Amino acid sequence: MTAAVLTLDSVDKIYRPRRKRPVHAVKALSFAIAQGEIVALLGSSGCGKTSTLRMIAGFEDVTQGAIALGGRIIQELPPARRGVAMAFEGYSLYPPLTVRDNIAFALKSEKLGKAEESKRVQDMAALLEIGDILDRYPSSMSGGQQQRASLGRALVRKADLYLLDEPMGQLEPQLRAVLRGRLKHYLRERGMTAVLVTHDQTEANALADRIAVMEDGVLQQIATPRDLKERPANLFVGSFIGEPPMNVFPAHVQRGNGRIGFAIDGSEDLAFNYAESEIAAPVRSALAAHATITVGIRPHAIRLGQARLTGKVLSNQWLGDQTHVAAQVAGRTIVAVAHSRVDARIGAALPFDVAAGDLHLFDAQSGRAIAHGGSLA
Amino acid sequence: MARLELKALAKSFKGNAVLSDISLSTAQGEIVVIFGPSGTGKTVLLRLIAGVDDLDRGAILVDGRDVTDVAPDRRDIGMAFQNFALFPHMSAFDNIASPLTARRMNGQAMRDGVMGVARMLKIDHVLDHAPRELSNGQKQRTALARALAGSPKILLLDDPLRNVDAKLRYEMRLELPPLLKQSGATVLYVTQDYKEAMALADRIAVLIDGRFVQVASSEEIYLNPASVRVARLFGDPTINLIEVVPRESAVGVAVSIGNKVLELGAGHRAAVGRPALLGVRPEAMRIGAPNGGIAARVIAVTPLNERAVTLLKTQDGQEILASQPAQDRTAEPDSDVGIHFDEKDILLFDQSNGARIGAGAGA
Repeated sequence: MTAAVLTLDSVDKIYRPRRKRPVHAVKALSFAIAQGEIVALLGSSGCGKTSTLRMIAGFEDVTQGAIALGGRIIQELPPARRGVAMAFEGYSLYPPLTVRDNIAFALKSEKLGKAEESKRVQDMAALLEIGDILDRYPSSMSGGQQQRASLGRALVRKADLYLLDEPMGQLEPQLRAVLRGRLKHYLRERGMTAVLVTHDQTEANALADRIAVMEDGVLQQIATPRDLKERPANLFVGSFIGEPPMNVFPAHVQRGNGRIGFAIDGSEDLAFNYAESEIAAPVRSALAAHATITVGIRPHAIRLGQARLTGKVLSNQWLGDQTHVAAQVAGRTIVAVAHSRVDARIGAALPFDVAAGDLHLFDAQSGRAIAHGGSLA
Repeated sequence: MARLELKALAKSFKGNAVLSDISLSTAQGEIVVIFGPSGTGKTVLLRLIAGVDDLDRGAILVDGRDVTDVAPDRRDIGMAFQNFALFPHMSAFDNIASPLTARRMNGQAMRDGVMGVARMLKIDHVLDHAPRELSNGQKQRTALARALAGSPKILLLDDPLRNVDAKLRYEMRLELPPLLKQSGATVLYVTQDYKEAMALADRIAVLIDGRFVQVASSEEIYLNPASVRVARLFGDPTINLIEVVPRESAVGVAVSIGNKVLELGAGHRAAVGRPALLGVRPEAMRIGAPNGGIAARVIAVTPLNERAVTLLKTQDGQEILASQPAQDRTAEPDSDVGIHFDEKDILLFDQSNGARIGAGAGA
């Protein structure tokens, strides 16, 4: 990877509303983004992702810490001098200009000829499917149309960094998948570096090279979508990422006769039991310190039809390209997902298995990950 | 448990038809999901059945008894709404008990009735809480418990999972069908989420522009949609639609897509010469070697949960989406590939009106 383009170094944001308690919105946030990388800030509302984006853009002061872009410390610069293009709320389109002129205005500094300027606007309009609203004014457009026009204005510019807030947020499903693909291709082809903010993990997964998961102002983990799923740093990330969510159970760790077992709620009917050899030595040693543990199992990792355990089918729902099955075992409900149809009637016995390599093990108290599959976290 | 029959219901507001010719006959204990885009009259329909609003025309029958002119509280119909609508000054217990006390039930029988549904919905530990002390999920379960407590023959649920978080929505999607079956009520369930509709329904009634355009099982609607509008409402990503003009070929009917001539089989003869939309769902598209398939370039790969969605572009500029299990993903951006799919996965629609044409249509 090339040198970092954007660096945040121990950045804090504290809001001090009058006559109210201060709010520590962003806490000691550090990360670096490489040239050409797409990074998503993901979290629920109030997690600090939007404050972070606004500090990078220059709409909020940095309480403490440093933000550098292309080697320059930028947090004291006004927004317009940071070399950043942005599409988000509070940075609205110019009301007296049509969408066409709004987008063209972002090209002014490049001093292109009329024909070239007009072509770039047309290309952007085609990319975002806004050709039919180019001659309209922002006030006459829906929120979703304004959002796409504003995205177009940001993307058409030359900048060191692109900041995009929920770029595909209000799109109808029929357009969403295609526009996500086009946007990703556009950014990638031009080597553009982008930070996008979203509360929607499907959007983050679709577009980002890496995702920064935030909660309560703290960066929980920044990693590729695949690593977030396969190697979550803690139980929060593990259960936040993934649809349907990870199955999470408290378990007793059992040892003896050359085997290691994880008995959910201490129950023998829901015990995942493996030969010691199936679990790597470092994981075994780490487990020695734990009598109880939190076990996480991804719905997709449950192998149906292979008998280690048996549940009773509660529901079996085919959704076109996947099937969701819920089964009851020892008073617990476990959810499995398959890519194809599952032949299992409600109330029938459902054998299933989980390989040792598909278990996620978390500290029962702190939620910190201990091991993922065969290796230490 | 009861049979609900709707006979040619119609309703207009200020001269605008909101619902037209709505007919439906349910089996006892059936879950019928009313599904459609927003603003198509789903909630209006529930209000007519509940008796909150009056019909312009048509009749509503419960077990063969015409209840069209019967007062709402005498129809044996329970209802729960998306905004919960709990009585704020009453505990969860009293909220759930309200349909029973309205029937002058009290004492042990009433308490047993409340506890029964509360246990089933796992809210028996918060029954003394006021609504403001309940989480959204608990509020939603309390509203559902209240609707179930009166043991209504017919239960109307208006998008009950709309205002709960994603995690609870998954849980409830899996838990609701057995709970509803256990209650024995015949259920009409309104939603705008196709996955919820497919997950919960014995049958789905697709409501578009105030009419039922298709009433069938999830499977039938997904695999055999009556029109292009129905097809586009189900699936994520939504169905690929490619403009073609089918023509007669030596062995049947053929279309051209990019560099490729596709044989559709003789079953599609009705489509010859008419501008059509060829529909193939993204999960039916396979990405393989350039030879033999529709030549295309990989534009981008956008993961979707455990699947990989690939945007492809054919030589004539047609964009096609393919969705595969993530572990089967093969194509890298900017590589040249071939798109393959089976004839059985093709749906043809008339470009002029969106109706299904050819094999399987109207089955």
